[in-house]
Amino acid sequence: MTQLINIVSHIKTSPESCYATSGRMLDSLFNIDNGYLEGLVRGFKNGILKETDYLNLVQCETLDDLKLHLQSTDYGHFLANEASPIQVSVIDDKLRDKLVAEFQHMRNHAVEPLATFLDYITYGYMIDNIVLLITGALHQRPISELMPKCHPLGTFEQIEAINVASTSSELYNAVLVDTPLADFFGECVSEQDLDELNIEIIRNTLYKAYLESFYSYCKSLGGITAEVMCEILAFEADRRAFIITLNSFGTELTNEDRKKLYPQCGKLYPDGLAALARADDAENVKQVAEFYTEYRALFEGAGSNPGEKTLEDKFFEHEVKLNVNSFLHQFHFGVFYAYLKLKEQECRNIVWIAECIAQKHRAKIDNYIHIL
Amino acid sequence: MGSLFRSEEMALCQLFLQSESAYTCVSELGELGLVQFRDLNPDVNAFQRKFVNEVRRCDEMERKLRYLEREIRKDGIPVLDTGENPEAPMPREMIDLEVKFEKLENELKEVNSNAEALKRNYLELTELKHILKKTQVFFDEALYPPNLPYDQEVYFDDDERINLLMDTSLHHLMHIGFVAGVILRERIPAFERMLWRACRGNVFLRQAEMDDPLEDPATGEQVYKSVFIIFFQGDQLKMRVKKICEGFRATMYPCPEAPADRREMAMGVKTRLDDLNTVLSQTQDHRHRVLVSAARNIRAWMMKVWKIKSIYHTLNMFNLDVIQNGLIAECWIPVANWEDVQLALRRGTEKSGSLPAILNRLSTLEAPPTFHRTNKFTKAFQNLIDSYGVATYREINPAPFTIITFPFLFAIMFGDVGHGIIMALFGGWMVWREKPLSAKKTDNEIWNIFFGGRYIILLMGLFSMYTGLIYNDVFSKSINLFGSSWHGAYNDSTIQQNKELTLDPADVKQYDQYPYPFGLDPMWQLSNNKINFYNSYKMKISIIFGIVHMLFGVILSVWNHKFFNKAMNIYCEFIPQIIFLTCLFVYLVLLVFHKWVWYGAGGDVSTSPSCAPSILITFINM
Repeated sequence: MTQLINIVSHIKTSPESCYATSGRMLDSLFNIDNGYLEGLVRGFKNGILKETDYLNLVQCETLDDLKLHLQSTDYGHFLANEASPIQVSVIDDKLRDKLVAEFQHMRNHAVEPLATFLDYITYGYMIDNIVLLITGALHQRPISELMPKCHPLGTFEQIEAINVASTSSELYNAVLVDTPLADFFGECVSEQDLDELNIEIIRNTLYKAYLESFYSYCKSLGGITAEVMCEILAFEADRRAFIITLNSFGTELTNEDRKKLYPQCGKLYPDGLAALARADDAENVKQVAEFYTEYRALFEGAGSNPGEKTLEDKFFEHEVKLNVNSFLHQFHFGVFYAYLKLKEQECRNIVWIAECIAQKHRAKIDNYIHIL
Repeated sequence: MGSLFRSEEMALCQLFLQSESAYTCVSELGELGLVQFRDLNPDVNAFQRKFVNEVRRCDEMERKLRYLEREIRKDGIPVLDTGENPEAPMPREMIDLEVKFEKLENELKEVNSNAEALKRNYLELTELKHILKKTQVFFDEALYPPNLPYDQEVYFDDDERINLLMDTSLHHLMHIGFVAGVILRERIPAFERMLWRACRGNVFLRQAEMDDPLEDPATGEQVYKSVFIIFFQGDQLKMRVKKICEGFRATMYPCPEAPADRREMAMGVKTRLDDLNTVLSQTQDHRHRVLVSAARNIRAWMMKVWKIKSIYHTLNMFNLDVIQNGLIAECWIPVANWEDVQLALRRGTEKSGSLPAILNRLSTLEAPPTFHRTNKFTKAFQNLIDSYGVATYREINPAPFTIITFPFLFAIMFGDVGHGIIMALFGGWMVWREKPLSAKKTDNEIWNIFFGGRYIILLMGLFSMYTGLIYNDVFSKSINLFGSSWHGAYNDSTIQQNKELTLDPADVKQYDQYPYPFGLDPMWQLSNNKINFYNSYKMKISIIFGIVHMLFGVILSVWNHKFFNKAMNIYCEFIPQIIFLTCLFVYLVLLVFHKWVWYGAGGDVSTSPSCAPSILITFINM
């Protein structure tokens, strides 16, 4: 009996003290705060469209058939109140609205540390929204026209006042300093006016800071969350490094500037990134990828000839694979991130198929990314 | 035996329908409600079926009706539900319905957009009126500043006491421009902060809250807003302020500087507001009239559309017979209703005026579906049984026995006259007011469960009253109807000196040697060993009833074996079950009865209560 009491006294009973000692929570205590949401997200994940659904979708002749078929999936009657004929943009909006509603529900029920984790996911959308609005303002579009195009998950209170700023330091001081993005702004504050090139650089610098911050946050959570998320984020960082490099050939972006945009939380850091910084054409990039087994497999067989998959598609497929694999572990936050990304990929797939049907150009209708 | 004893005999039939009469025949069969169709196209996709276009048209009509219903509910108009059951309209009437709904929807949409535009106008004018009123206060202070020291700190709050401008002449000298507008109250802190940051503190904001909430034209909900006025110097700041105001969705209004202009503007706004009010109320009236006329028919329309849709869904299950230009259907029909189905088909073909439909019986080895013909009373019990598992075809249906055993076993557990009366009254009220209550059609799940089981609740209540009388339990108190058989025959002094006394049933003075006529003697309520006695009694009763019940169920299976001609089952299943049950549990029941009868007070020591053996130990020791 006394032995039993001794054993029991060694087990910390409060979740907070669990964090304090080891930086990670006992798996058995995960469900106290996060059990409902993990169960919910796994239920949502089971509703992701399967191969049979996609086979039915590509056989649809009109968008009405597509709507009829989606009624029998988890989407249900989400298009029920739209007047026919339906347009692809309406389908896209409604798909996104459903995903946003699910995410908001989960965010509303989340407590720390899951709440911070879900907030981190939304920062990426905030960055995209800010860049969209500034680009629109540059092209003299009124803000009311641009607001519906923003992603709902990335809105914050001062977002509509973005067009006040004409230089990046103004953008920081006036608008972003109260938002969570303030920390990511560090290096980009300058007095130059915002123009096309600058905006892209600001976007990539913000995103780099965001990725690295997210990566270190996941690492501090420890446990399976760190394992799963750091793998996914490392791939994201390397993918961005590759894409930035490939897109920068033939533009005004110098090699040194390009090097500053590479996120450093991936597998390519430090040697791969240094090699990428020196690369001058696509062949060099491919040679850098040769040193890393997963990336070599992605670059092989990728090309722009018909019948081959493009490099972007291969990156998408790899990302989807990592996200699906994250569901094999339990008691971690990676499932929430993975679910969001998989659902987005599914939305992109459905919109691709819908566009092919609407424009009656069915040659490439099978080029969606297979998820499950 | 009666029709509920076994499930009905079913026949698989093939139906040949002419294309013209298919719709009407299916409509008639649908009204009859006795036919189950099989899906002859299971591997065809939903959008490749024959009548998919008609189903889509029905979906469109449903969407329009749902829109109408939403608008009707928004205005709070009660929907008239007469409970009528309109027949499915003919296919050519479908077009009329579609046109009617289209017209209604367009009209409603037009009225709504007009109302929205008018409300927007109204909102602008109201805001302008408030601005003119509040800015009057701001500017007044500029003209007549209170006597305050000039180095007093400027603070922002609703007191509106502090001013920036010392007098009007200075005001004109500094060329200070201003912008007045209205903003949502919750945005003010962020708005102020953004202004301060973006203009580096070179603008001055005054704000005052509006006391009455305003109606937002798009959503219709009431929001609180505040009036603000921003003073600045120079054009650049003006551009910046304007951009920030746009960003926070603050509406700006032109506000004249001179008080006389402001007063004039205020009068103009007032007259325009009055005009707008009348126009707005007329628009609302028109919309109300449209919705009221729609509300009268909307239930009937909805039913018609549902019926059309279900007819086409059923038609989608049929096979197309190209040779004879007809449709082939397969369905299960209860044999007893063969004539009714023939009659319905004849009615259908007469309506559409074509060749009669042919009904053929097929023989099959497939297991037919189980069909119990229930009425509103037996339906609840049948549902209860089905939740444990639907009986196989032509098996004995436990439901008719459940009508009595279920409430009775519940009553054995419940056993209270007082609560039983309440339960019986509740059930009785639901049964008495059946029609109006079922017409209400609420969504409340809990109420629907209770209402669906109203007959069960009534029976449970009645039986509980009976068992309550046996247990002599009225709200946990006993009643003495016939006079107790026990008498406390002790003299006063004994009673005064002892806290507890025992009454001996062997003593004639203390116990009239015949028991209480009906139920438990009320004297038990006062005794200390009441729980001992009650518990032992109730447990033994429960065991006896339970075992009798189980035995009954096993014996019923003999009828099933006889019906299906499975003699082997009788020897290999029934006989061993009976032997097992009897040797163990009927033996236990016999032990209980023997102990009750043989052992008692007033007799030999060997049959006295102190020598009565424990049934449990006897049973375990075998």
